[in-house]
Amino acid sequence: MIVSVLALGLANACSSAPEAPSKPVVALVMKSLANEFFKTMEDGARAHQAANAGRYDLVATGIKDEQDVARQIALVDQMVARRVAAIVIAPADSKALVGVLRRAVDAGIVVVNIDNRLDRDALAERSLTVPFVGPDNRAGAKAVGAAVAARLQRGDKVAILEGAPNAFNGIERTRGFEDAARDAGLVVARSQSAHWETARANQVAAAILTEVPDVKALLCGNDSMALGALAAVKATGRQGSVLIAGFDNISAVQALVASGEIVATADQHGDRLAAYGIDYALQQLSNPGSTPADRTTPVDLITGQPR
Amino acid sequence: MTSREWSGLAAALVVLVAVFSLLTDHFFSWTTALALANQAPESLLLATGMTLVVITGGIDLSVGSVLALSAAVLGLLLADRGVALPVAAAAAVAVGALCGACNGWLSTRWRLPSFIATLAMLEMARGGTYLVSESQTRYLGAAVDVLGADLVGGVRLPVIVAALVVVGAQVALTHSVLGRQLLAVGANDEAARLAGIGVDRVRQMAFALCGALAGLAAIAQTTRLSAADPNAGLGLELEAIAAVVIGGASLSGGRGSVAASALGAIVMAVLGAGLAQMGVQEPTRRLTTGAVIVVAATADVWRRRSRA
Repeated sequence: MIVSVLALGLANACSSAPEAPSKPVVALVMKSLANEFFKTMEDGARAHQAANAGRYDLVATGIKDEQDVARQIALVDQMVARRVAAIVIAPADSKALVGVLRRAVDAGIVVVNIDNRLDRDALAERSLTVPFVGPDNRAGAKAVGAAVAARLQRGDKVAILEGAPNAFNGIERTRGFEDAARDAGLVVARSQSAHWETARANQVAAAILTEVPDVKALLCGNDSMALGALAAVKATGRQGSVLIAGFDNISAVQALVASGEIVATADQHGDRLAAYGIDYALQQLSNPGSTPADRTTPVDLITGQPR
Repeated sequence: MTSREWSGLAAALVVLVAVFSLLTDHFFSWTTALALANQAPESLLLATGMTLVVITGGIDLSVGSVLALSAAVLGLLLADRGVALPVAAAAAVAVGALCGACNGWLSTRWRLPSFIATLAMLEMARGGTYLVSESQTRYLGAAVDVLGADLVGGVRLPVIVAALVVVGAQVALTHSVLGRQLLAVGANDEAARLAGIGVDRVRQMAFALCGALAGLAAIAQTTRLSAADPNAGLGLELEAIAAVVIGGASLSGGRGSVAASALGAIVMAVLGAGLAQMGVQEPTRRLTTGAVIVVAATADVWRRRSRA
């Protein structure tokens, strides 16, 4: 009896042993590793993998700058060739990546979209369903915009510093700012791209401050641009009379938000974003029949001292 | 530089300013002029360095990345290590000069075309930037305020420094031994060698100066933004090259003027500010910028041809 149990145990051990190396490999394909936000995301993913080392292996990759769409497509192709089990991707472009992701899905790979949502029409055109796990950028930006609007009067002019024109999260944030402005009766006098960059935002903000002298707030699609806008406002000596808001809550702005120099920003918990996506991919891998569905992850409004 | 070349560029500037003044409400104002001036230092410094390299027949594609690396070092030393500003600023310039010297060494000692050597440096310096900064933007605030202080009527220290550098480099180019040697090397390096000029040493000097000026530009930009952004300077090398070309320097070497390149940089700055002030969207901005470069460079070619 005891012997047979032992034998059974051994048999089990033997049969499970060959499966141990076939832990699923999850590929995390990010945008610019230069961007602090994606660095945080990558660190979060690595921490998640370390805590779940028994469940999956992680391959984390990214491109050198956020505009390098072709390179990201090549990366996905490499991951398909490598036969990973799942790809969790923050697309550098909302449309351009859809084709290569179709190839990935055709190869039997589970694909989960994080951070920057893939374009609905482009997905439909390829009859592809890719679940989006991530924050509602529009709602987040709307909350930031509302926090700014609470300090303004109806009819006040505001300007929006947009992200890169081809990024859906940037477009969503612009829409969220517009929603907030409409709700509060503010006038969006200008809406211009500053390509997520501090120096470019500084130039654009300086131009807006000159051309729209009565602008009351600069709503920026990310915190790097908010820093450039802040420098422009300071250069004209209009601190306090022109409010600034950002998005992402990067470490460089946290003290400025606390002191009120930047009125509001939003934290979408970058360290957990990739982990949310990976969790969802693992869930789908262990449950192949399930229908993929979108999941919204939390975005918190961060404001400083109340007036 | 002849008065004729001055007049061409000056006319282009007047036309640009006139067009933007007509198309916007507030372009023709002291505020715009001041904002332009205070944004100009890094463009002026980079254009100056680029001119020195282009005159010797080289090119430096790395200045944008080197600027970012110097800024990252400055940010790290000031924000994380609490180093005194003069020391940190000197380190930033030294880092730039070192990158430039490395460019010069690669292109003279190893005979790498400067296009390739500096392309490699563009990548390496950017990689170094991400390592040094851990890919994080640093907010410096008060640490650099002293450098951004208003001097005369709202004009800030970096503007004065940049103007002095432009004037100094122009005078040195036309009146110093090194200046003459730079031009001679670019015009015909074999002839320069036979005349007893240390061609490699002169080229190395041009690259090192260009790098050091990128370091100085990093200080100017960091001062203006109160922040060191790891993505700083993306594409600035192309803007500097555009300024030099608009200024009429020959990309094959032997001809060029720092003052004309500085005017070229101002043309680019006015264009950027004017388009931003009009509120044009990205596609229009890029199309217009490209068109202005083509027109300016073509005008320069025609001017030379008609004189020949």
